[in-house]
Amino acid sequence: MNQVTFPVLDKRVIIFAGAYGSGKTEVAVNYAAGLAATCSEPVSIIDLDVINPYFRSREAALSLEAQGVRVISPHGEMCHADLPIILPEIRGEIERSEGKVVLDVGGDNVGARVLSSLADSFGRGYEFLIVLNARRPFTSTVTGSLKMIHDIEISSRLKFTGIISNTHLIDETTTETVEEGYRLACAVSTEAGLPVKFVSAVGEAAKRLDPETIGVPVFTLKRQLLKPWEEKDRAARSSKNKGGLVLCRV
Amino acid sequence: MNENAQAVFNRPQLFGEAVTHYCPGCAHGIIHRMVAEVLEELGIEGRTVGIAPVGCAVLIYNYIQTDFIEALHGRAPAFATGLKRVSPDLIVFTYQGDGDLASIGTNEIIHAANRGEKFTTIFVNNAIYGMTGGQMAPTTMPGQITATSPHGRNVKECGYPIRIAELLSSLRTPAYIERVAVYNPQNIVRAKRAIRKAFQYQIEGRCFSLVEVLSTCPTNWGMTPQESLKWQETTMLPYYPLGCFKTPEGEVKE
Amino acid sequence: MSRILMKGNEAIAEAAIRAGAVYYFAYPITPQSEVGEYMSRRLPEVGGVFVQAESEVAVGNMLMGAVASGKRAFTSSSSPGISLMQEAISTMAAARLPVVLINIMRGGPGIGGILPSQADYFQSTKGGGHGDYRVLVLAPSTLQESVDLTMLAFHLADKYCNPTMVVADGMIGQMMEPVQFPEDYKEEPLPPKDWATTGCRGRAPRIIKSLFLDPAMLETNNVMLAEKYKLMKQNEVRFEAYKINPQNRILLVAYGTMARICQTVIDELAEENISIGLLRPITLFPFPGKEIFAEAVKPNIKAVLTVEMSMGQMVEDVEAAVQGRKPVEFYGRTGGIVPTPEEVRDYILKILAKKTPAVKSWKG
Ligand SMILES: Cc1ncc(C[n+]2csc(CCOP(=O)(O)OP(=O)(O)O)c2C)c(N)n1
Ligand code: SF4
Repeated sequence: MNQVTFPVLDKRVIIFAGAYGSGKTEVAVNYAAGLAATCSEPVSIIDLDVINPYFRSREAALSLEAQGVRVISPHGEMCHADLPIILPEIRGEIERSEGKVVLDVGGDNVGARVLSSLADSFGRGYEFLIVLNARRPFTSTVTGSLKMIHDIEISSRLKFTGIISNTHLIDETTTETVEEGYRLACAVSTEAGLPVKFVSAVGEAAKRLDPETIGVPVFTLKRQLLKPWEEKDRAARSSKNKGGLVLCRV
Repeated sequence: MNENAQAVFNRPQLFGEAVTHYCPGCAHGIIHRMVAEVLEELGIEGRTVGIAPVGCAVLIYNYIQTDFIEALHGRAPAFATGLKRVSPDLIVFTYQGDGDLASIGTNEIIHAANRGEKFTTIFVNNAIYGMTGGQMAPTTMPGQITATSPHGRNVKECGYPIRIAELLSSLRTPAYIERVAVYNPQNIVRAKRAIRKAFQYQIEGRCFSLVEVLSTCPTNWGMTPQESLKWQETTMLPYYPLGCFKTPEGEVKE
Repeated sequence: MSRILMKGNEAIAEAAIRAGAVYYFAYPITPQSEVGEYMSRRLPEVGGVFVQAESEVAVGNMLMGAVASGKRAFTSSSSPGISLMQEAISTMAAARLPVVLINIMRGGPGIGGILPSQADYFQSTKGGGHGDYRVLVLAPSTLQESVDLTMLAFHLADKYCNPTMVVADGMIGQMMEPVQFPEDYKEEPLPPKDWATTGCRGRAPRIIKSLFLDPAMLETNNVMLAEKYKLMKQNEVRFEAYKINPQNRILLVAYGTMARICQTVIDELAEENISIGLLRPITLFPFPGKEIFAEAVKPNIKAVLTVEMSMGQMVEDVEAAVQGRKPVEFYGRTGGIVPTPEEVRDYILKILAKKTPAVKSWKG
């Protein structure tokens, strides 16, 4: 059993970025919920994914709000829009001085570019974390991962402060998958000079991890962004949008 | 309409109460506002029909309170042709982005201009596809990084950016064509003057009129609003010179 | 090679490259823009070409030029973009050009919306453009199948010299699943491309065309095309039977994402001892009509239920297949709304609770 305490990061603003499909949205959503459960300060999550049309953190809005996380994402019909909507309140939320803010950014350097338009807001301390998944084509090697880090740093104009090892194959994830990913993350860590802040993995795989092998905290994820045929807790769907793909804040 | 003739600076009535969906620092909002002001000042709002594009400005009908038709991607000039030809008393304008007008809709705009259709086009050039996530546009600057030019626009394969104002000015049919920018207040004043002139020509039934407005897209350019204005001035302006390229009275270069 | 995690659009893009299609022409449109973004990174590595065209109209015609040279080329788009390519698709069918088109369907009609839909069934399976022609239509329901069917699409296009389409709703384009690419991909032998315009040095000139001034010649061409479609119907029907057995009380027919949802429902109902089977068409054209008929007429089957993300399109083919022998029911949602397993389940229970329903059209 490797269930450690929630890996709280001190900084007020915590930004998760990474390759498409690295799982940053799952990590960000779970992390925001974890923060809300552990700290006394208010917690908000900003959906800054202007690239993906589906499977964004706004889809977990209802469940997050129930857990005490304020979700900042386009409202009403705009949440389905094929429009890169940057709400004016985002800037304010980042620049505020109290509370914790989690930012979920779109994939790759393309998705991270939007950070650059907010570059002048990140004055105070922040964590900028690269979520690595060794089972994704462009980040399956150290070279590929370093290139991803480099490309995202260029397009976002922010410097990474740490690595999240989040190697997974969705429901085919095994303990070995996670360990293999952690080894890659460690190698990237050495090359890039960035610490591995934590390993994240879904329940079953996380439980069986050997604390000897993993030298950093393990953060257990509960999948939030489910496909319509996977949804177990389906009652949670709003009745108005019954059958709707996206849960939105109306 | 405008009973309160005393007010010096008012939100144009035509510009509804809705908060726009545009990103902070996006010039679409300013350009909408100028159009609304001009329509109101000329007193033509009641007989104006706008043609909305497919692009970030697709929801323009939520902000400018006149009749609108939502065009298919790139085809606004054809919609406008149909409308204006059967209802010549209407004031018709299209509002189009550079993907819409200079890529998928080049055919329609060239032929509408060449036929001398008597409507007005507001062409918003932000050097990128905003709505679909920052892909390269025909107006993207050489070397500019976009989602589909990850190593920068390669002019050997993609050619140089299209200068729509110049291209259309080469047509012999009389027209009013001007390029303006919005990176500072002086230019905004000039831009509004040009938009007003464009509608004036239409009211007089003189000619096709097009104003190319250099715009910004901080989100997809990856710049702060301030930096985007700077970039417009330092990078776009040298390539896209401002000025009046064509008037029905003859070639003028300001 | 180990399993890797991919997004549907990327998996399709990579599959095309693995099938030797390194010429890609496209215009951005949600929800498939990742194909182009993936290609703009990958194609330079494999010596391919990606042209971001000025429009989908141009894409269709660029493809004609590209495949006429005998090379494998393809495009991907979403519903409105595919509409703009119809003139070219009709012409490529007439001129027997083997092109592959990927349609990541979104909600229509008109500009519609960007969420998933299956409302381009008619467009893809009934021709879509003008004239008498058909395209081969493959409909994956998992990402692994998206990979396999994309690769197969290039083979079938070459085999029949016919436009071939892979249609997937936006959900499949956007979701992530682990996939595996075949180690060393081998194809059945294909006929030589002895029609390709490669320069006539040392041989008689070749002409690729669709204009026939003589009506008799045009008719002959159409008859020959029709014979080809007949061959496709004989040889290329593909489908999956899920939990089909003699106890089934209802036969579901669904494809793509809807089939995944139906499977969830079938599994849940099985726990309550309600036996339901699913016949999932993998080829939408040619359509597995005979197979549906064979299952539908089994004595235990009370009704055939078609579930789609549309107002009812494939159901017309199901109805034709069942030939009035059993009631054909329909359940669908549109606009980008994906029916939930609950809704489908409720609908099934409603049908089961009905007294012996008269055989009548689903349209009522
Ligand atoms: C036929 C068709 N093809 C593609 C699209 C997708 N699409 C929507 S907007 C757009 C381009 C937007 O760029 P631009 O015209 O420059 O306007 P901006 O968003 O930058 O204001 C594209 C390609 C579509 N809606 N219809
Ligand atoms: S994406 Fe660009 S063009 Fe669109 S609203 Fe944002 S800044 Fe404006």
